Amino acid sequence: MRVVVVGGGVAGVSTVAALRAGGFDGDLTLVDAGEFPYDRPPLSKDYLAGSKDLEQIALQRPHWYDEQGVRLLTRTTVTALRTPDGGIELGDGTLLPADRVVLATGGGAARPPIPGAVGDRVHVLRTAEDADRLRAVLVPGARILVVGAGLIGAEAASTAVDLGCEVVLADPVAMPLAAALGEDLAAWLHGLHARRGITTLRAGIASFAETGDGVEASFAGGVEASFAGGVEPRTSDAAALGAVARAERLRAFDAVVLGVGMTPQTALAEAAGLDVDGGVLVDAGQVTSNPAVLAVGDGARTRRGPRVEHWEAAQHDGARAAATILGTPAPEPPAPWFWTDRHGRHVEVVGHMDAADQIIVRGSFEDPSFSVFGLRDGLVVAAAAVDDSTAVRAARRMIDRRIPADPARLSDPSVNVRVLLRG
Amino acid sequence: MRERSERTNGHSSTDGIRVAALDDIPEGEGIAIDKAITGTADDIALLRDTDGSVWALDDTCTHEDASLADGWVEDGYVECPLHSSKFCLKNGEVQGLPATRSTCPHRVEVRDGEVYLFPGQAP
Ligand SMILES: Cc1cc2nc3c(=O)[nH]c(=O)nc-3n(C[C@H](O)[C@H](O)[C@H](O)COP(=O)(O)OP(=O)(O)OC[C@H]3O[C@@H](n4cnc5c(N)ncnc54)[C@H](O)[C@@H]3O)c2cc1C
Ligand code: FES
Repeated sequence: MRVVVVGGGVAGVSTVAALRAGGFDGDLTLVDAGEFPYDRPPLSKDYLAGSKDLEQIALQRPHWYDEQGVRLLTRTTVTALRTPDGGIELGDGTLLPADRVVLATGGGAARPPIPGAVGDRVHVLRTAEDADRLRAVLVPGARILVVGAGLIGAEAASTAVDLGCEVVLADPVAMPLAAALGEDLAAWLHGLHARRGITTLRAGIASFAETGDGVEASFAGGVEASFAGGVEPRTSDAAALGAVARAERLRAFDAVVLGVGMTPQTALAEAAGLDVDGGVLVDAGQVTSNPAVLAVGDGARTRRGPRVEHWEAAQHDGARAAATILGTPAPEPPAPWFWTDRHGRHVEVVGHMDAADQIIVRGSFEDPSFSVFGLRDGLVVAAAAVDDSTAVRAARRMIDRRIPADPARLSDPSVNVRVLLRG
Repeated sequence: MRERSERTNGHSSTDGIRVAALDDIPEGEGIAIDKAITGTADDIALLRDTDGSVWALDDTCTHEDASLADGWVEDGYVECPLHSSKFCLKNGEVQGLPATRSTCPHRVEVRDGEVYLFPGQAP
């Protein structure tokens, strides 16, 4: 059997790894448009900061592909799907035969339809090239506006401050990530920005305009601001803020970073007539509406749920796709998990906090590390932690194994969370 | 590396270095032994599996800077506290991304409730 995997992100690389680990001995090709398969999370962290280079964020070491018998085609774009007749077509017209094709094409950074959002000084962050371009402007004293205070925007803002930039962070949502983290933790984390010297604006963007020495942002509607160094919003009066904003140069920037989400890369699937709806639609085994084609990672979505845009979810998709191709049982997916790093704090989240009917705080938000557990009907359904990975790992097992939780012991930091696993 | 630890600690390689009491390491957890004691390039993580057995690996995760001694030890593996890569306790082999390189295992012996480490020796 010949399998071609399109896209060398963590989903694609995990697919080929899981195929070989599962005993697949057929022909295996991985095609990626980039220089070589690399990992994306560092693009807003160490790589953006300049403390890691591209080789250091490779998803596998170069000889791994040979060892695994994987034909790796880099700097190569797949332009069409011809399966089941002929496999895939490459940019130069080459046809690559395949019995099964796995689409692992991920996505691109979203560009909202804001007037002026495509100017030279407006950046996005999805590829190493994006990060290189942005890093070049993150010099000490540079005035940077980050739009979107979710995961990538917050990380970019944190890295920019580390590099000595003057950072303004704008988001129309009062507490970004509240659904994933719970309101208290979301508010605490968002408050870190101001404490680190970032001015946060609760505001949407109406437009950008290039001026001689920068880009000017116009904010839509009322603006609420927390100024650098403070924690609580100091003003929400739009007129007063307008004056302050001008005075404090909250409108003119050397560069803008858009961290407003991603758009799944579904062009190949659409052109091939596959079912697509906010992602390439797949079943529980990652199979698309064409049985010869599977889809994994950020670009895929099951009909049952929303699209997931996290690293580990992409990895698990790859394992499931491999199981489908091998005809072996798919591994049980563990509770969803992701991490993010900002302002020197490591944050991890497992499960679905918005499903909780009871929230339990373990430790105190003033401690160096603490965690929040979400329970529903006495069972742990989620946990979020700052610098406390043990709590999250324990919670994950409590969720997956449906181990009942004792709220009193859960909230007591002197009780080892590992002990709670024993019920 | 072993020679240096012998010099520093006055132990022969047949004895190993006494680095901890077994009771110092709870099951499922680890402790880090400073490289000044082990004479190795990196600290060494002493990891106690859920079956009670004790293992030793280079402490720093091969992905980023996490200490594997802070990891989650279970069923023959230690899970890195930062991004969950798993390393085999017996041979240090990496089991899953994002780490791509295996880590170095060291021989450990438990005698009379005391843990002895043989830095640089294969288990
Ligand atoms: C800056 C940044 C920081 C992040 N930080 C975190 C984090 O801290 N924690 C976390 O859990 N998640 C994080 N994520 C999310 C995580 O990186 C993604 O969920 C993951 O990369 C998805 O993997 P993927 O393989 O589906 O897609 P991608 O990583 O997007 O990979 C898709 C690949 O397919 C290639 N490709 C696409 N079309 C074609 C074609 N036609 N021909 C050939 N090749 C093609 C692309 O070049 C690309 O290499 C971050 C993402 C970004 C962008
Ligand atoms: S530091 Fe260990 S997996 Fe990232």
